[in-house]
Amino acid sequence: MAIEMTYGNFFLLSLFYFWASSTSLSLGIGYYTVYRPIIAGMVTGLILKDVQTGMQAGALINIIYIDFVSTGGSFKGDQCLTAIIAATAAILFSLDPIEAAAIAFPFGFLGILIWKYRLKINNIFVRIYEKKYRENKFSDICIYNGLLPQLLLYLMSFAVIVTAFFLMFLFCNLLIYSDKVTNILYYVGMTLVVFSAFNILFKLRNKKNFIIFASFFIVTILFSLRAYQLFIVLLIILSFISDYKIFAGYNNQKNRIIRKRDLVYSWFIWKNFSHSCYSYERLMGMAFAHSMKNIFKRLYSDRDTVRKAIHSHTEFFNTEPNMGTPIHGYIISLEEERKLKNESFEEGNISYIKKSMMGIAAGLGDSFTQVVLTPLYISMSLMLCLDGSYYLSLLPVALLALNIIFISYKGFMKGYYHGRDSLMERIKAVKNSKIKKYFPFMFSAILGSTMGNLLYPAVVENILTKIIIILVILLTFIVQTKRFPGPNSNL
Amino acid sequence: MKKVVLLRIDDRLLHGQVVVSWIHFLKVNEVIITDDEYARDEFMCQLIEASAPENIAVQVLTVYDTVSYLMGEDEGSRILILCKNIETVKNLVEKVEIDTINLGGLGAAQGRKRFHNSIHLSDEEINILKDIARKNVNVEVKMLPKDKAVVINGN
Repeated sequence: MAIEMTYGNFFLLSLFYFWASSTSLSLGIGYYTVYRPIIAGMVTGLILKDVQTGMQAGALINIIYIDFVSTGGSFKGDQCLTAIIAATAAILFSLDPIEAAAIAFPFGFLGILIWKYRLKINNIFVRIYEKKYRENKFSDICIYNGLLPQLLLYLMSFAVIVTAFFLMFLFCNLLIYSDKVTNILYYVGMTLVVFSAFNILFKLRNKKNFIIFASFFIVTILFSLRAYQLFIVLLIILSFISDYKIFAGYNNQKNRIIRKRDLVYSWFIWKNFSHSCYSYERLMGMAFAHSMKNIFKRLYSDRDTVRKAIHSHTEFFNTEPNMGTPIHGYIISLEEERKLKNESFEEGNISYIKKSMMGIAAGLGDSFTQVVLTPLYISMSLMLCLDGSYYLSLLPVALLALNIIFISYKGFMKGYYHGRDSLMERIKAVKNSKIKKYFPFMFSAILGSTMGNLLYPAVVENILTKIIIILVILLTFIVQTKRFPGPNSNL
Repeated sequence: MKKVVLLRIDDRLLHGQVVVSWIHFLKVNEVIITDDEYARDEFMCQLIEASAPENIAVQVLTVYDTVSYLMGEDEGSRILILCKNIETVKNLVEKVEIDTINLGGLGAAQGRKRFHNSIHLSDEEINILKDIARKNVNVEVKMLPKDKAVVINGN
């Protein structure tokens, strides 16, 4: 063992795992950056002082999870924990990243426990809050939506990561020094990664995508197309087809009671805590109320009114936290209106408006941010990383984070200044999105090149493997063309 | 009478991937959202129609209009009906023939208790569903087509 793991390192890793998997306290972009295996692997590498190995292991895990979409908190495995375990195993036991990925893969199911129970456990905080509210006791939404759920989550993450590390060390110490085992692990890891990539490709269900994938795969292997070359081309294409309407600005009309900085602060709270107290009972309801706290403080001076107003927003709420922000802006403007007209909280239909808009924004939002933007940018990052451009591979992730921030911020402000039409505008923009339209083609090209780069070393050494791989690709291609007669991209 | 392949109860109505997976699975080509409140709200109708998946005809109708629409001639369309409250379903089932009612997602609210995963129901709502089940309608909780169904029967 070249590097020893200290208690300090372990503490840092547990803290990182908590922070990344909580997706809170990271301006809402944690879920798109630090939670992703490539970045989780990189941070693990930073802590254990071998960034490259960490990133490679993370990137391999990321291929397995590239089509990951979470709707309503249900998904197949915890990619962040898997990446941390893979990176640690690769660095501490000097394993090949592919072998480490094979060891780490089952740990994804351990991490899922947190998400499974988190939604149940958070019900408790909702109930305590409700009880305190009914009894007229001190009931600050910050504590029940922010502090307590996060503290509990840290304890849960800590327990999970201790268990995971214990099992991983046990396994590695027992088996790793046998060449046979590492050989098997190598093939298991390779199969996992290749299988995942092909599986994703088949899900795109279109023969054009398959042609693109196969051509980029072959070009990468035969002419050693470099990842950064393809990346530059893709950036140029993206700069031509970016969907300005989704990010379109707003007219800064005159503010009445609520000031611009109140809006920014409310947005900031929403972004940081949207999933902090995510529960089956309310989903993001507590978070919505949390983000309204400073707005009500501005609107009303009476403490009791503020308390009631905040409580009225704790009801069930669920949407896509970035695409859905016009709802927040619009609701804030309605609350301001209500104050100006001196209406009580029982009047009006704010709750109806929230509930009717949230579902639409959720479906459409997920189908864009999680299904299109995330795999597009993250896959570019993987392609660069696996080709050795480590620094450059951070650029797509940064671009993704910027996209997400812009989408949520602009939507929030637009909702406030332009009202409910801003949501309609957004829906139309997403439906006509060019990025969404061309995404399958770009994604297939990236995937083809990534797989080409990954299999390249195995191929150059041996002409026979080269022929076999190309034959397999051609064969699958012929089978695929027969299976999918025409373009079919409803998703 | 037109063919209704499924009636789904879901707060979120036309909710992205969840609904799309059902549409693929049942080969649906028409979606009717039955909700008196929404049908009278012009903005909501526009919003829902704008967010409809490609190649699927979506309409927002009141219970009354849904019934008269379904009574029309069958032109081979396969219809999915989406509702967000159980009262609406009760009114619909009294007037049109429906084989299967699917509970997809109902959030917590005053008086509701957790029934199964993300399905919350009040005692009254459970009774309505049981009444419906007694009329030989298949009532089940099923989030996605591949999930295991939890059947609500009349007893």
